[in-house]
Formats: sequence, structure tokens, C-alpha cells
Amino acid sequence: MQGTRRVLNAQQDATLAVLTDLILPATDTPGAKAADVNSFIDLLLAEWVEPEDRDRFLKGLADVDTRAHAAFGKDFIQGTPDQQTALLVALDDEAARWKASPEATRGREPFYRTLKWVTLFAFFTSEVGATQEEHYAIIPGRYVPCAPADTLAPTE
Amino acid sequence: MPKTYDAIVVGSGMTGGWAAKELTEAGLETLVLEAGRPITTADYVEHVPPWQMHFRGLDDRKKRSADQPIQRECYACDEWSSKFFVNDHDNPYTTDPDKPFLFLRGRQVGGRSIMWGRQVYRWSDLDFEANLKDGIAIDWPIRYADIAPWYDHVERFIGISGEKLGLPQLPDGQFLKPMELNCGEQVMRDAIAKHWPGERVLTIGRCAILTEDHLGRAACHYCGYCERGCVTLSYFNSINATLPAARLTGKLTLRPFSVVHSLIYDKQRNRVSGVRVIDGETKHALEFRARVVFLCASTLESARVLLNSATPDFPGGLANSSGELGHNLMDHIMGGGANGKITAPNDKKPVGRRPNGIYVPRFRNLAGGPKSPFLRGYGYQGGAGREGWGRGADLPGFGAGWKRALRDPGDWGFSLYGFGECLSNHNNYVEIDNTKNDAWGIPVLKIHCAYGENELALMKDASIAAAEMLAAAGAREITPYIEVNPPGKAIHEMGTARMGRDPKTSVLNAHNQAHDIPNLFVTDGACMVSTANQNPSITYMALTARACDYAVGAMKRREI
Repeated sequence: MQGTRRVLNAQQDATLAVLTDLILPATDTPGAKAADVNSFIDLLLAEWVEPEDRDRFLKGLADVDTRAHAAFGKDFIQGTPDQQTALLVALDDEAARWKASPEATRGREPFYRTLKWVTLFAFFTSEVGATQEEHYAIIPGRYVPCAPADTLAPTE
Repeated sequence: MPKTYDAIVVGSGMTGGWAAKELTEAGLETLVLEAGRPITTADYVEHVPPWQMHFRGLDDRKKRSADQPIQRECYACDEWSSKFFVNDHDNPYTTDPDKPFLFLRGRQVGGRSIMWGRQVYRWSDLDFEANLKDGIAIDWPIRYADIAPWYDHVERFIGISGEKLGLPQLPDGQFLKPMELNCGEQVMRDAIAKHWPGERVLTIGRCAILTEDHLGRAACHYCGYCERGCVTLSYFNSINATLPAARLTGKLTLRPFSVVHSLIYDKQRNRVSGVRVIDGETKHALEFRARVVFLCASTLESARVLLNSATPDFPGGLANSSGELGHNLMDHIMGGGANGKITAPNDKKPVGRRPNGIYVPRFRNLAGGPKSPFLRGYGYQGGAGREGWGRGADLPGFGAGWKRALRDPGDWGFSLYGFGECLSNHNNYVEIDNTKNDAWGIPVLKIHCAYGENELALMKDASIAAAEMLAAAGAREITPYIEVNPPGKAIHEMGTARMGRDPKTSVLNAHNQAHDIPNLFVTDGACMVSTANQNPSITYMALTARACDYAVGAMKRREI
């Protein structure tokens, strides 16, 4: 996919790929990589967002590298999985603290929160995420008002 | 000599489709003029999943804000269904700077019936008698007994699912089996019944969606997106039901791309002799003739046609000797309500996408009940559901465990959203704005409309009462709110050519016939004298069928 991006350069694309796959890894179902969330995020950056929001997102990706250099002296993508995960834990904690602060009602959300939302959206609206993780049925065929909570899909 | 049709129907939507069906089935050669393009079930997109959409449902927001900055205010004007809404640059209108109005429109065969909300509630004499009792505006010229058989007639054809309740303020109808309440809604229903016995009721929405196969249309398959169309014809709209029925008679001529400019008035005979049309594609002026004309173009468009049809005898607009044409514009006020999280079975969730919610019928100012410090009342729509993957943005964590946690349904949420009555007010009106034309060179409307104190009081009370009901069900995180919505947003506009007994104070008589011109009928929302708080389409349809029956009789008697 690299080289076909319209906004993301190779470094940004690789950084985003690691981040999104840490957020939604392959488990018993495919993860962010299999759902190609990077392609959709690149599309949004190219066609959908305002220029200032695109710049904020790209700055956020650059900031991940800044933090990586401070934490382990390398680009984020060159860290070990443990180093990458530790950095993401810190970002996740910061976002949770932001959400609980008065800033959440007025300020701009941190880059990481945007990243988390767009990763979720790109994954669950992909065919892979919608069908294999969510068991989304285009035509459920019926409405079951009180199905067991672990029901995967409508059953006849 | 150009052909003279028996009838011309202007508009092919909710009421135009009914007029077409009833008039052709009565044997009349009927021409239906639709301003917009033809569509068929091939235009339906309800089964196109997000991953096949360019923006996966986030919409092409730059294009939308450029082409449809007004239409996009409707929830249904999304990446799938925006093609069923007009281009705002082709279809302008003006307002006072301090009185915004949202004119939300669909121009295509089927009109707004393609993406309507499908909720169906009969009115009662509480509604038909309200103006008389309250001394507001004028009295309705009909009562429930006049319209009840026509509700039956319309409901039997279109197919309504719902639960019979025996409530005087919300008469039961011809129902197919109701859709089902989910576990969260059952909890709320029981809590309301326990705390307000005999006063408040929660029921499944009564809707024009089939729960059983009906007259060649299939039962709903719960894909969930009726506003995108329905290839199984399971919800009612004109192209799924009424227009095919009209076509079967062999008496229907449907002409899309026919933008009606005005009506042609024959002063000698005091009759409308036909309509002037601008071809939507070529922009050529055309004329069509008929013995009788039905305006079914929508509350605002029908008023616009009549206002644009002024003659020396009717300088203020055709059939406007009363001076009421264009006046008394109303739209339901909506947006007083509350949300909360309720305690419902954690081991259950609904499966399938039910395109319908709950309904709480009006409980304020009922006959014989306590009086509120405002007139009339409101009802709620809403429902219960469990949070899905979207909650992940605020769920701390990431990775395999977090992904697994999102697979389970989240909290049960409940929403109660109020729709209130709007009182008739002569000062809410439309006129022709001669400084502006639409894309077909037809002068546009200037709309003057604002809600009054009573409407705002209704929504304030709706917000408080919704929070009370959530509290009674033991809900947490209860959030009452009052949205500020400009009129028009409920898309229940009514009143610009009201019915009445007195030609001095109304445009139409009790049969939707113009007092001034006997072969002119207006049967869309323009005819309404008050709004009640119930969704109005079923009442428009019943009045249309009733007016068609009357018109056919009058033609046979050679009165028109």
C-alpha cells in the first residue's frame, strides 16, 4: 500500500499502521491491518477533513515519534512491541484524563482520541470488521427483541 | 385541440399518490404532474453496506454543505439518501433574518413519501374540537366520525402495524400485528404503567411498515433503513403502493419533470381549466387541461402555486377571497426530551434493526383530566438500545482485551423525544418573494414563521416529564434537554390553505374543495386547521381519499 497514499508519507503510514494495529490487533478475528484502516484514514485526510484538522492529525503522528525518541531513543516504528505499548498506555491515560477534565467540554480533543475513534470507525465500517467481528447482517430477516447478549447474528 | 383530462393531480407523493389511486379507480383519466425525476425501486440503496460507500456513511460533507446546506439538516439526508432531497440552489426560498425556517423537500416521483418517518397515528375529537373549545383560530369543519371510515380505508390498503390500546385520544386503527418492544423498552413500559396507571402508556410505534405480507408487498426484513428505499416494498410510499395501483387501472398518466408554475383560471365558468407547467428538463412552458384539479404538492408548494396564480379577480392568490391563503403556517415543535441509562437484563440484547421505536401518546390536557398551564399536549417517540462499538472511543484501554470487551453489548440507554402541537397563528405565513426565482424561473416563497410561547412551554414540560419517567424506571445519568429547532425541521408543515365552514375565514370547505372555485381541491397538509401532536401523514391521506370520493360524486352529479 505504501506509495499509493495521497496524504500520508511512508513514515506516517508506517507509524499509523503500528498504532492502529496496537489498538485493534488481530485476535480470533482480523484486526486493523486486515481491515486496511490506513487506506480509509488516508482517504479522510485527503478528501474529508478540513486542512487544519489534517495538519493536527499529522502533527499528532509526528509527536508520537518525538515521544518515542524521548522514551527509547528511536522512531516509534523501530521500538520493541513493549516500548510501543508503553507509549500507547501513556497516550491512553492522557486521553482519559482529558475526557474527565473541564477541557473536554471546550477544548480540542487530543490526537490520540481522534486516532482511537477513527481506527474504530474505519475497522467496524470495513467489510472485514463489520462481518467478521460485528457479524453485521445486511438483511437480518427478523427482529429478536430479547436475544441472548452473546448472539452473533439473527437466527431463523 | 389539446386533450382534456378528467383530473390533474399536482404532486406524486403522500397525497398525490392517493389522489391518483382513488381518482383512477373511480374511472377518471388522471394526469399526475411531478416536478422531479422518475425513480424506481432500482434507486433504492437500503442494502448497500457502509463499506461500499465512499465515505462509509460519514457523507461527502463538503459537497453536502455546498449543494444542500438546508436539506442536510434532516437526519435522512445522508450519504445514501441525499439524492432524495432537493438541491438548495435550484430551490431557494427566503425568510426574515431573525426567523429561520427549514424547508425540507424531496422532488422525485413519490416525493417525500420515499423518505418519510412512517409513523401513523389517528387523530381524535380531542384534536378536531380543540380550536373550538380553546377559542384558537377557527373550528375544524369535520369531526372524527367524518374521517374514521377513511382512516379505515387508507390503513387497510397501506398496512399499519401497531398495538390496540383503546385510548380515546389515540383511536385504534386497522392494525397488522405490532412490532415488538425490546427488553429495555419492556422495563420502561412497566415502570410507566406502575407510576402513572390510567394516565401514561408506552407502546410500540404504529407504523406504515408491514409485519405480515400484505396485498402483494412483503413483510419487513429488518434491514433498518427505510429512508433509503425498500426493494420488498415493505414500507408504504407512493411508488411501492398507490402509484402501482393507479397504473393498474390504465387511467393514469404520470409526467415527471413537470414543474407546475400556476393554475389557469376560467373567469366565465369560475373554474380552474388547467395548469401551466415548466418542463423540468427543457424549461419549455406547457399547459395541461382537466375538469378537476387536485393540489397535492405539499403545504408550502401548493400555497405557492395558488399565490403564483393570482388574477385580477384574485389579486392575493387564486381561491383567496378569505385572505387566509398562505397564512396559519404551522409545524410540530420537537426536541424536548431526555436520555438516560436504564437497568434492563444485561444478558439480553435486540438483534435485527427494527425501523420503528416506541410511542408515548399525549397525556396532558386530556378530556376530564387535570389542566396544564399550557394548551394541548405532546407525545414521545424514542426507544431503548444497547451501546455498541462506538463507545470504544471513551472506553479506556486498547488491544486484544479491549477489542474483546467491545464485542459485548454496552449499557442500556433510553431516549424519549417529544413532538408537540403548534397553535395556529395568522402571523405565521408565506408570500411570494418577487425578487427571487427558482431554477425554472418561478417566483419563490418568503416564509415568515416562528414558534410561540405555548409551543416552547410544551417542550419544556416534555423535557421534565421525560426525565420523570426515566427516574421512575430507575435510570441513571438522566439528561433532560430542550433542542432549539427552527420550524420546518419536523417536516410536518401544515395550514396554508385551511379548511373551514366559513368562506370568509377559510380557503377550503369540509371536503377540501376551494370555497371560491368548485373544481379545485387541496388535500395535502395545507388543508389542516390545527396540527394536533400526532404525525400527520395518515390524516392527509384519509382526507385525500375522502375528498376524491366527494369530487367524483360531484362530477357525476354534474356539479363540477
